[in-house]
Amino acid sequence: MDLKFTAEDQKFREEAREWLNANVFKERRPHGGDEMREYDLAWQKCQYDGGWAGVSWPEEYGGMGLGLTRQLIWYEEYARANAPDNHLCFVGLNHGGPTIIAHGDADQKKEHLRSILSGEKIWCQGFSEPNAGSDLASLKTRAYVDGNELVITGSKIWTSHGHLSDMQELLVRTDPEAPKHKGISWVIFDMNTPGLELRPIEIMTAPNHTHFVQCFYDEARVPLKNVVGGLNNGWSVAMSTLGFERGTAQIKDQIRYAFLVEEMIARARERYGAAFLDGDEFGSRLAQLRADMAAARAMTYMVVSRAQHDVSPAMASLMRAMVGQVQQRVRRLAFDIIGADGLENPEDDDWVYFYLRTYATTIAAGTSQIQRNIIGERVLGLPRS
Amino acid sequence: MDLLPSDDQQQIVDTIKDFLRNEAPVDRLREFGAIGNPDALLWPQLGELGFFALGLPDDRGGVGLSAAEEMLAFQQFGYHLVSPGIFGLVLGARIAAFAGEDALRDELLAGGIKVGLANSRGAAGAADEYHLFEAEEAAWVLLVSEEGAALYPRDAFSEIVRVNSTDSALVLERAKLSGAPRVAISAETDNIHDRALMLMGAYAVGVSEGARDLAVDYSKIREQFGKPIGAFQSIKHVCADMAIRSEAALCQASFAALVMDEGSPDTPFHATASKIVACETAVRNAADCIQVHGAFGFTAEANVHHYLKRAHVADMMWGSLREQRRRILTFPTPA
Repeated sequence: MDLKFTAEDQKFREEAREWLNANVFKERRPHGGDEMREYDLAWQKCQYDGGWAGVSWPEEYGGMGLGLTRQLIWYEEYARANAPDNHLCFVGLNHGGPTIIAHGDADQKKEHLRSILSGEKIWCQGFSEPNAGSDLASLKTRAYVDGNELVITGSKIWTSHGHLSDMQELLVRTDPEAPKHKGISWVIFDMNTPGLELRPIEIMTAPNHTHFVQCFYDEARVPLKNVVGGLNNGWSVAMSTLGFERGTAQIKDQIRYAFLVEEMIARARERYGAAFLDGDEFGSRLAQLRADMAAARAMTYMVVSRAQHDVSPAMASLMRAMVGQVQQRVRRLAFDIIGADGLENPEDDDWVYFYLRTYATTIAAGTSQIQRNIIGERVLGLPRS
Repeated sequence: MDLLPSDDQQQIVDTIKDFLRNEAPVDRLREFGAIGNPDALLWPQLGELGFFALGLPDDRGGVGLSAAEEMLAFQQFGYHLVSPGIFGLVLGARIAAFAGEDALRDELLAGGIKVGLANSRGAAGAADEYHLFEAEEAAWVLLVSEEGAALYPRDAFSEIVRVNSTDSALVLERAKLSGAPRVAISAETDNIHDRALMLMGAYAVGVSEGARDLAVDYSKIREQFGKPIGAFQSIKHVCADMAIRSEAALCQASFAALVMDEGSPDTPFHATASKIVACETAVRNAADCIQVHGAFGFTAEANVHHYLKRAHVADMMWGSLREQRRRILTFPTPA
């Protein structure tokens, strides 16, 4: 057990800090629309031009080719510098890109990877369907082979920022006769393909906040060479990289949330007086969250530690499940602390917006119930449900 | 940076685990009878194996390892519900070592004598009123506070009255402190208060994990509706929650130990956070463990109730959740 970082790690940390302090975007990130797309791409491009995009990505695709510890350090400094989260780049950077790195062929890597890092292309996810949510493997969007093309018909839903995206990682059923996990393919889909229609879906944060789209594919044609990891092999391709969503990227959130708890303590003191600490419900909840945020950060360190020892990635589900709950509790308390002000939802008050946003943290990327199934079965060895 | 035990550290953990699995299975508490436990019989063996001296510097008569090894050891002590009298020996030896009382230190490290724990009764009593745990035949009684820690001879306490212990595996008394300590060190000499909280956090992690494993094992073998109850999501998710909480508590305990080893000014914050997270987890896991066991969990024939009661003792020792939550808000923002 050791909390020390090497001298090289420390040097990396200092360089990252220096670069971030000089370059971080200071303007507030727009909550939606083309402005948000432009903002996220510009910030991504800035990181790329500075040489800091893709710390753990291979060097040949513009990354730094460094390990998880450096990735952790980068995210820590990123959060400390209060750098904006360019959520639109999330799928490309943490999911689509790493999947192509792990399973793509040389042409796919050449064509797609660099444009993710350099802030040219936004990727979205096309996994869930109206009737395939937690039971993802029952997806029905059909794709048949016609010459050197795949012809896709069906529908995907809960595609975050689909209306602002260029590319999509898409799971389709290419063999309807095979058992449900065996007939799926993982496909690179261009969002400008004819035959694709989008229906925007507003989310609960405020009127006109479009976050999701539903995608309708009507005989949309994709080159067969866009299948990644082999035809009908899409389930194992998707599962092998789902873990990327459950890893180090969350350290940013944890540090931000830890800062937020400190800010909440300050705001509560200011609003209710220092005496609130003693015996008040807010004081007790803040104290517990202060301790829980410390534990959440320690859990991220453990995830990185376990990855170095090659321990089952299912263990990372423990951290993800814990963090989802804690973030909800933090935001709920932030909302409670502002009292009646929370009933007003002005565009510029993040505390209300993000309170409502955190209802997603126990749903997105596998509901907390599915996480608990994974923990029960793969970590604790309980019989399958 | 690596929060997992090194090979050497894992070897220590495995040695303690093997020893306790053989010598101190939790069933011993049921077999022992109504009140108390046989753990003092283990002290000489544990002393001989060096387990009381892990975190003491070698120039002070210890093994010269770090707080991390101590943390790992106390996690195992908690897992097997070892009598908290073990805190008396380990912390008592530390007090003696830092006070230059080498003979007493060596006597404690050898495990030949018993050290009870004095804990303030808080709002339940006057300022000089204490609970004494495991102190009945103890030569010494350990008292830890934010100001430091001290060993008192048992006769420094007066009006000692035996009371029924909620945790019936422990002997409990009420007493007034009326005498002086024999050996004392201040918080300036050593961070013994932080260490006590950190180790109690580690102990509570072990209690949490013990309850988790008991529930998981039971839900694999107990069948209803034609299958093991662990196949039902209602039970599976309760077990998963126990695992999530235990992991959070373990990670924070590890972090707290490492921060302490670095001599960081954040040590009190992380030690306190560790005790908060672990004690909350221990009580909740024990409660869930009872529920998973159904009516059997409500009986004294199951071992489950011991985890719940020990979790409450761990929480109450050196300031309960309520007090620790107050304290943690007083620390500056950690790095």
